[in-house]
Amino acid sequence: MYFYQDTQFGERMITLMAALVLVLQIAMVGQRWLVTNIRVFAAQSFLLACIANTIAYYNHAPHIYIAAALTFLVKVVFVPILMERLVAKIDIRQEIEPLINIPISILIAGGLTLVGYVVAESFYHPKEGISPATLGHNTLAVAISLFLIGFFMMINRRKALTQVLALLSLENGLFLAAISLTYGMPLIVELGVFFDLLVATMVLGILVYRIRETFDSMDVSQLRRLRG
Amino acid sequence: MLLLSLLAVTLLAAGAAFAARRRSVMEGINLGASVLTLTLAVVLAASVLRSGSVTAVGGLLYADALSALVVLLVSFVYVACSVYAIGYFRDDEKNGVFDQESGASVIVGKLRKYYSLTPLFVCSMLLVALANNLGIMWVALEGTTLASVFLVTFYGRPTSLEAAWKYAIIGGVGLSMGLFGTILTYYSASLVMGTETLGGLNWSVLVTKAAQFDKTTMRLAFIFILMGYGTKAGIAPMHTWKPDVYSEAPVPVAAMLAAALLNCALYGLLRFFILTSRCLGPEFASQLLMVFGLLSMGVAVPFVLVQRSFRRLLAYSSIDHGGIMVLGLAFGGPLGALGMLLHMTFHSITKPLLFFCAGNTQQHLKTDQFRRAKGGLIHAMPITGALFLVTTLAVTGSPPFSLFQSEFTILRAGFDGGHYVPVVLFIAFLVTIFAGFLVHIARLVLGPDPGIPHAETCAWKKYPLVGLGVVIVVLGFWLPAPLYALVQSAARVVREVQ
Repeated sequence: MYFYQDTQFGERMITLMAALVLVLQIAMVGQRWLVTNIRVFAAQSFLLACIANTIAYYNHAPHIYIAAALTFLVKVVFVPILMERLVAKIDIRQEIEPLINIPISILIAGGLTLVGYVVAESFYHPKEGISPATLGHNTLAVAISLFLIGFFMMINRRKALTQVLALLSLENGLFLAAISLTYGMPLIVELGVFFDLLVATMVLGILVYRIRETFDSMDVSQLRRLRG
Repeated sequence: MLLLSLLAVTLLAAGAAFAARRRSVMEGINLGASVLTLTLAVVLAASVLRSGSVTAVGGLLYADALSALVVLLVSFVYVACSVYAIGYFRDDEKNGVFDQESGASVIVGKLRKYYSLTPLFVCSMLLVALANNLGIMWVALEGTTLASVFLVTFYGRPTSLEAAWKYAIIGGVGLSMGLFGTILTYYSASLVMGTETLGGLNWSVLVTKAAQFDKTTMRLAFIFILMGYGTKAGIAPMHTWKPDVYSEAPVPVAAMLAAALLNCALYGLLRFFILTSRCLGPEFASQLLMVFGLLSMGVAVPFVLVQRSFRRLLAYSSIDHGGIMVLGLAFGGPLGALGMLLHMTFHSITKPLLFFCAGNTQQHLKTDQFRRAKGGLIHAMPITGALFLVTTLAVTGSPPFSLFQSEFTILRAGFDGGHYVPVVLFIAFLVTIFAGFLVHIARLVLGPDPGIPHAETCAWKKYPLVGLGVVIVVLGFWLPAPLYALVQSAARVVREVQ
């Protein structure tokens, strides 16, 4: 038996990669440059695809391979390319300008990670047979942290494009939650979710472009004419 | 077959309208598709009433009385909007609302956007109601947002971009919570059923086993679903996109969002409500829904009272009605679900007319601000003005109109359940909104003739309104027995479970 066929090894690998995903998410909070942010997102999605592959391998669940391949195609290749082209096309200033300064943002992200762990603890049923705990309830904690930090980034960012990125990283958290809790949703649902994600990115991209054209800025805090 | 053809008709119509070159062709396609959809919806409702639930495509699609009711309402609103849209956009063109430099090709391009996205929008709404898999239902709900974002930006004004951005982002965040809730539901079900089954999220399977689901997870799942689908339904405090979108979108689109999409979002909530109450007993979900329902009604009150624009007024009315329906569901008991579904039915039939009247008024006066409309509308537009007043009375739930009956049913359910404080608040909110709404619209419609040019608009904008008006008045006195039977058996789907 090779060392990589050992489930223990697989679990450790998954935990390691999940930890890296979390690190990248916090790096995204602290990152100043838009293009780097897009690449961090791509790297994070790549790790996610790796986690999915690992889980598929150790649990003999072939449909997760498809989800992993889709993650790679959509989130590692297609979406980042689309976004970078958009950035080049609309020619904006590269800095992100969050509302809360970066050190405090990172502290808040750390706090949210803690919350993620506390919440994930309530799902930990070590006695039940097919418990996801076999894959480390660390993964679920990371997933919930990604979700929460994604929310925080949405609030913390003013530029339209960075809000889209935050929404996408929030979605990464959901994907991780799905594969760590239930080894992924049924395939057809997974396909639908990816399709929606793809269309949503394009729709939001077009909106960002038109907002930029109309307002000569991407600062969504300028969008405040409609009130009452 | 029937279920699939419902989806296929709208999908084909979208493709055909996209390929069409002339405006009249696009109008015809849309009108034809809507009438065909309504016919199929009626056939579906009849077959569900006769022989129970239907499944198709290997269990992917499923329709019981609840889905049939939602499909029927969506297609009714679709027909009404398709007819009205023809006159509405022709008038827009005459008034030169489209871009200044516009040639004929620009106008046709804009119209093509409307006529091809609208069937897509309807298609995804129908899929929400017909999907058996709760995950697919989520995908379809997200699809409704994606299909309608560019309908909101139709006029391309800076304000409509702002509205569309809020709509897409708030909707996207909300639905991501909905997806998390769906994942958690799947997880709590997988502890019972295992994850291997393809139909692991199929409603027809889940509902039979809901009692054994993991309780902690289901509790959390319902909270996420409530936040997520509540955002889509515009339940307070996630309602903030609604006034912007309803006032910026073209009137037929706004009417569809208010009268059809609201039902679909609530339908999603309803499915999870049934699962949750089977799993945890009705109290948990009901208490949450009661808080959010009352909050929605309460939030609407001050904004209705001090509202300056009649388009935004309608949005707050829609938030209020969403709250009423949620509250009906929360009251539970034998009458709660029935009251809610009756309210949904009557609301969907009544609301489009209110939007159409507001649309005619806005197109004629070139403003949606009460301040700039000087009142006395009825002198310039007798039919629209009179109908505006009648529908206002109907929507605010005054007798003899049908919404009074459903609100009364919900009230009964509240008293039966012993929820006295919520009931008192419910009545207080209803009465205040009635008063505020009526004062605004009466000032707009009645009063001395301010000398606006007299113009009753073209036939396409007049007769659908009169037709709807007749339906609303008749419905106040006579509810067709098959429709009532459908609502009753839909309520049974909700209630049998508790």
